[in-house]
Amino acid sequence: MKLLNVLATTALVTAAASMAAAEGANIFVIGGKPDDPFWSRVKMGAEDAGKVAEAQGGSVTWLGPQNYDNLGPDAAELIRQAIDQGADAIVGPDWVPEAMDPAFEAVVAAGIPLVIYNAGGLEAADRLGAMNYVGAVDYKSGYAGGEYLGAAGHKNGACVNTLPGAANIEAFCNGFNDGLAAAGGTGSVLQLPATAFGDATAVAQAVRAHLLQNPEIDAMFAIGDGDTNATVSGIQQAGKAGSVHVCGMNFNDSILANIQAGTQACAIDQQGYQQGFFAVSILNNFVNYGVTIPTREILTGPGVIDASNVALVIEGVKAGAR
Amino acid sequence: MSTTGRDQKTQSSLGNIVRRPETGSFVGLVFVFTFFAILGGPIFVGAPGWSSWLNIAAEVGIVALPIGLLMIAGELDISVGSVIPASSMTAAIVSGHFGLAAPIGILGGLGVGLLVGFINGYLVAKTKIPSLIITIGTMFAVMGLTLGFAVLLVGSTSVSLVADPLTKKLLGTFVGGMFNVSMFWWAGFVAIIFYLLHISPIGNWIFALGGDRESARNAGIPTANLTIGLYMLSGFAAAFVGILQLLTYTSAQVASGQPFIFNSIMCVVIGGVLLTGGAGSVVGIVIGTATFSIVNQGIFFSGLDPNMGSIFIGVLLLAAVLSNDGFRALTIKLSTKKS
Repeated sequence: MKLLNVLATTALVTAAASMAAAEGANIFVIGGKPDDPFWSRVKMGAEDAGKVAEAQGGSVTWLGPQNYDNLGPDAAELIRQAIDQGADAIVGPDWVPEAMDPAFEAVVAAGIPLVIYNAGGLEAADRLGAMNYVGAVDYKSGYAGGEYLGAAGHKNGACVNTLPGAANIEAFCNGFNDGLAAAGGTGSVLQLPATAFGDATAVAQAVRAHLLQNPEIDAMFAIGDGDTNATVSGIQQAGKAGSVHVCGMNFNDSILANIQAGTQACAIDQQGYQQGFFAVSILNNFVNYGVTIPTREILTGPGVIDASNVALVIEGVKAGAR
Repeated sequence: MSTTGRDQKTQSSLGNIVRRPETGSFVGLVFVFTFFAILGGPIFVGAPGWSSWLNIAAEVGIVALPIGLLMIAGELDISVGSVIPASSMTAAIVSGHFGLAAPIGILGGLGVGLLVGFINGYLVAKTKIPSLIITIGTMFAVMGLTLGFAVLLVGSTSVSLVADPLTKKLLGTFVGGMFNVSMFWWAGFVAIIFYLLHISPIGNWIFALGGDRESARNAGIPTANLTIGLYMLSGFAAAFVGILQLLTYTSAQVASGQPFIFNSIMCVVIGGVLLTGGAGSVVGIVIGTATFSIVNQGIFFSGLDPNMGSIFIGVLLLAAVLSNDGFRALTIKLSTKKS
């Protein structure tokens, strides 16, 4: 009797679920761990866009791995789980193409609209038959930093590379140098030996020595909070605070404080909130009304944070969106 | 006083100077300084150059001194690589995230170093497992705990701390805009450890421990307590460097500190400490640290490819070991001639 009850309830719930599906869009979002600071912002964006979906009778479900130890296969499993749960649309990052592409192909084969976000770029979206790519591009983030400092009148830049050989760091640095060149300056790369990685003092002293030896340098770019803080210190120790300006990738509260104090010119943000928000919005509108965004490759970054908008960013941090 | 051969200051023949373990290291120091002075020019020889390598030397030097004592006693400590971030993260979380006064966070960070040192020392003293393996184990354990607690408590892998002006002044400012206060702390560590190794009776115990642990115990030296004490000193020094970095750069990262493992060992070996234990000196370790730092920083003043610096360090290390062996052979030859 009891079992029968349970079965009846399950049937009811399932019926209700499929009815809801007929009305709104049930969107499944595959992303990082919800307690990861970056991904918590992406999740917030997806859920904020999900409020519209909910008002229309749909839903947004976040699927994230427990940890990053087995990222590719775990994420592929989450994609299949979304298909099995009857998703009307799926958003996912193409972190590990070898492991995840077959699962994304299954999404497209099942006729479910797909948007790739965060990782993979437009190439992945085209290869897999996804509607669009929503995310930032490393090269363009570096480019924004170079362009910003170039526009501020700086002519000679150096990009601090503490991980020579890492493809994404090289993309940031190439972007920075090209951005500076576009504004009429020239850029170079300060390559640090591997023994310096993670050692703030080694990075700061290398920056300082490099600046003393190359007094024509007036702009610097660093990747990540730690290297940026160390670079700022190196500039101060070289006695060049105020004349050499620095931009860095990403930010935390000490970086924001530096921007407020004027010791750092700008920080480049890939704006994770936008990734979740726009990927979900695009799919929700498509499933409900069949409308599309013909612009391919929706860039959510680079967003430039400088003295002019830092106060707004601090408000955004308090709200959990940045 | 003792007759173990560490203070035979009465003789001052040429043979005696050559026989001093740090002579080879000093020759190396003069060589690299001259080399980079020629390439780096006036900026390297002036205050900017000196402060540049001294800032590097101070931090690695504070870690290298107790590592040197451990190596003289025939042991290694790899765990310093994760004690540094563990200490700075602890202090940053306690004082930066939870908002307690900076000295409380600093004590917490130093406490983490002492605790890890105690565990290392206890395990090395009570088991037959080589200290290399034990401290690799504690290094990974501490690294995992640091990351785990950081994500659990703060939800981030980097935490910032803006300390009160006095704490910042004592532990994280630059004198004259370029000389980091860390070098005065380094000088303090040098004085204390010089006293420990070369003046107090503990020094002889450490040499005896490195010579032969079994005989040292039979001679009545409290080997277990000595080992634990040395590891706690090493944990404390590493934790102290973590605090210095936190206050200088106002933020702590879970992934910092790894370079210190090999860098500190290299300073000690370049400084003439015997890898098998039983020989070495504080002066040698300081010279080794200076040599290492001059190469590391000089490369940026010289206009050479920074990767060349690593080649230099590697060659110096091998040269140091070879010359140590050479000097030892010479020492033995000279002393047998005398007797």
